[in-house]
Amino acid sequence: MVTPAPAASSPATSSTEYAVDLHDVRKVYRGKVEALRGISMQARRGEVFGLLGPNGAGKSTLVKIMLTVVRPTRAEGTILGERIGTKSVLGRVGYLPEKHRFPEYLTGRQAIEFAGAMCRVDAEPRRRRAAELLDLVGMSDWGDRKVSTYSKGMMQRIGIAAAMVNEPDLVVLDEPTDGVDPVGRRDIRDVLVRIRERGTCVFLNSHLLSELEMVCDRVAILVQGTVAAQGTIDELTADSRRYEIVVAGEPPAWSAEAGLRSETRGDRETLLVLPGGDAAGVQTVVDRLRSDGRTLVSLQPVRESLEDLFMRYVHDPETGRAKPPGAARSAPPSAGLGGAA
Amino acid sequence: MRQTFALLVDAYRELNHRRLFWITLVLSGLVVLAFAAIGNDEEGLTILHWSIPFPFVSTNFIPRADFYKFVFANLGVGFWLSWIATIIALISTASILPDFVDRGSIDLMLSKPIGRTRLFLTKFVTGLLFAAMQVTVFTVASFLVIGVRGGDWEPWLFVAIPLVIIFFSYLFAVQAVVGMMTRSVIASIIAVMLFWLTLFLVQSGDGITLAWRVTQEIIVERKEARIVKLEDRAFEAEEIRAEMRDAAELGDPDAEERLADATNEADLAAARLIAVQEELVEDRDVLEKAVFVNGWLHTLNTVLPKTGETIDILERLLREWAGLVIPGPDEDDDTRRQFGEMVGGREFEERMTAALDESHSFQWVLGTSLAFEALVLGIGAVWFSRRDF
Repeated sequence: MVTPAPAASSPATSSTEYAVDLHDVRKVYRGKVEALRGISMQARRGEVFGLLGPNGAGKSTLVKIMLTVVRPTRAEGTILGERIGTKSVLGRVGYLPEKHRFPEYLTGRQAIEFAGAMCRVDAEPRRRRAAELLDLVGMSDWGDRKVSTYSKGMMQRIGIAAAMVNEPDLVVLDEPTDGVDPVGRRDIRDVLVRIRERGTCVFLNSHLLSELEMVCDRVAILVQGTVAAQGTIDELTADSRRYEIVVAGEPPAWSAEAGLRSETRGDRETLLVLPGGDAAGVQTVVDRLRSDGRTLVSLQPVRESLEDLFMRYVHDPETGRAKPPGAARSAPPSAGLGGAA
Repeated sequence: MRQTFALLVDAYRELNHRRLFWITLVLSGLVVLAFAAIGNDEEGLTILHWSIPFPFVSTNFIPRADFYKFVFANLGVGFWLSWIATIIALISTASILPDFVDRGSIDLMLSKPIGRTRLFLTKFVTGLLFAAMQVTVFTVASFLVIGVRGGDWEPWLFVAIPLVIIFFSYLFAVQAVVGMMTRSVIASIIAVMLFWLTLFLVQSGDGITLAWRVTQEIIVERKEARIVKLEDRAFEAEEIRAEMRDAAELGDPDAEERLADATNEADLAAARLIAVQEELVEDRDVLEKAVFVNGWLHTLNTVLPKTGETIDILERLLREWAGLVIPGPDEDDDTRRQFGEMVGGREFEERMTAALDESHSFQWVLGTSLAFEALVLGIGAVWFSRRDF
């Protein structure tokens, strides 16, 4: 229905379907460090969008450019329909920076209300929202204590609440589960889902792949300042989708003819692999196995995990090691020497 | 407006959090209490119920209300607020800008719908809150003390509030910009203290060399007047000698005798004239030197903010508008030694005041100082606006 806007589209014609619509975002830091090399990326309203990438890939730089914290060398595109870099649109954006720090003289509630005031939210709704959000992130009992007394996880919760005080249409969260315990992580995931249900776009920057896999509708993988892949997890893992059938006994004689890969497994069991995610195709195989009187031990659809996918893009096929962090200089003197910190 | 108000409230919370703020306020209270405890009567100075015979400050010399105003302007504002309280204020506000641009907190501020220049300037203004609250509390308390104890409810005292804030803002602008650029509290404190010392030296240098110039001008003028007199005298002596010579040639025996005296007199007058003319050449050289040195120092002083002179405006205003009269011991016309020369005290004071009025007007003091501050803040705003965090 709505086709993605072409790269040269002007902000006025850019589709309002996109909360984030970036084209050719570049950043060269002083000293000629090329952090971003022409990023194009689209995140829709009402979806959780995950930005993945190894350390130094340029994720934070990209997020900071969206939030006007860093000035791009070149950037086309829109944030909530407004040209990137427009200050006024930030009133409709919520942001949780990585390793954020609230002034220690504030209480959690004051930190949330201060964020609201800076987003031009009126005093009364600000107070009401702060109370609601404290409840939402499970900090009602702690809201009136100084943030200096908080644990890291509590700070994250307050940070998320502060990012939502203006009822934003786009929430950008940089490592929101950093330092949060497993229970807290699940709470935060639930909060993200609730934000999405309101039609808000959640732009998530994280390196915890298993978490992203659980909540993200779409992801982009950033490697060395470029987008290595972008799409739904299903789309990105389509090539790796397959059915794995374990049957008792030897591999059937017709397995190669039916397009099955087979391997003998332990004692009198065989693993049959049918590439592709076609459920109809697997029925025929099952029928033939049943008519042969074979015992089916298990049958399951399998696809590459986000982690496998990530590793595939991040690893340098030539060296077999992770690509060095940062887009850095266009021609590194000794590429791939050590994964580096 | 909502944002500015929120930033102000935030600044107040920050101040409230700092112990030094409250310590300074308590100390200010003690200074005002001490202020209320002293007074003057016919005998001299009084402290609570004790009287110290110190006739120079007795009510015969200085009315009670003026005594309080003088103490307020010179000790309260001139010493406590503009030295001690300022140093404490600079130390306690030093971390405002470095904290503001710290990683983790600057991202939160910049990602809000507020322009960077406005954000920086608002943050700067909120930093002045410390000084503003201290001087307001101090002035209101002093106003009450002077009203109750001195019997004079003097509204001109409140001029101290804007003056002290403006004075503090010169220093805080430098501290804020250095603190923001270096992100170092220590660096910003050291920078502002050195800057303040420089200002002190330049202002003192400007004042001292101006006094030197005025003294030298008086001396040169005096010598010029003396030369005119000596020229007359030499001319007269020469005329008498010529008369005597003519008379002697006509054979007047008396004249012959007096011719020798007249010749002596004329030679002496001529010699004196030459000596003073030589002195004048030297004095003019010195005056030229004084004008040159003072010119440079005054130019430098014009460019830089004038901290001390801004505070001095308070006393100048109180003298002009609140009828403050301070009878000092220097008001008599005793000649005094100044820069190695003897000059009349009153003459010097009058000429010095005229010179100050001419080259150190209120407009000059405030205008040029605020221009410097605007330049510093402009540099800070441009730096802040172009920076990646």
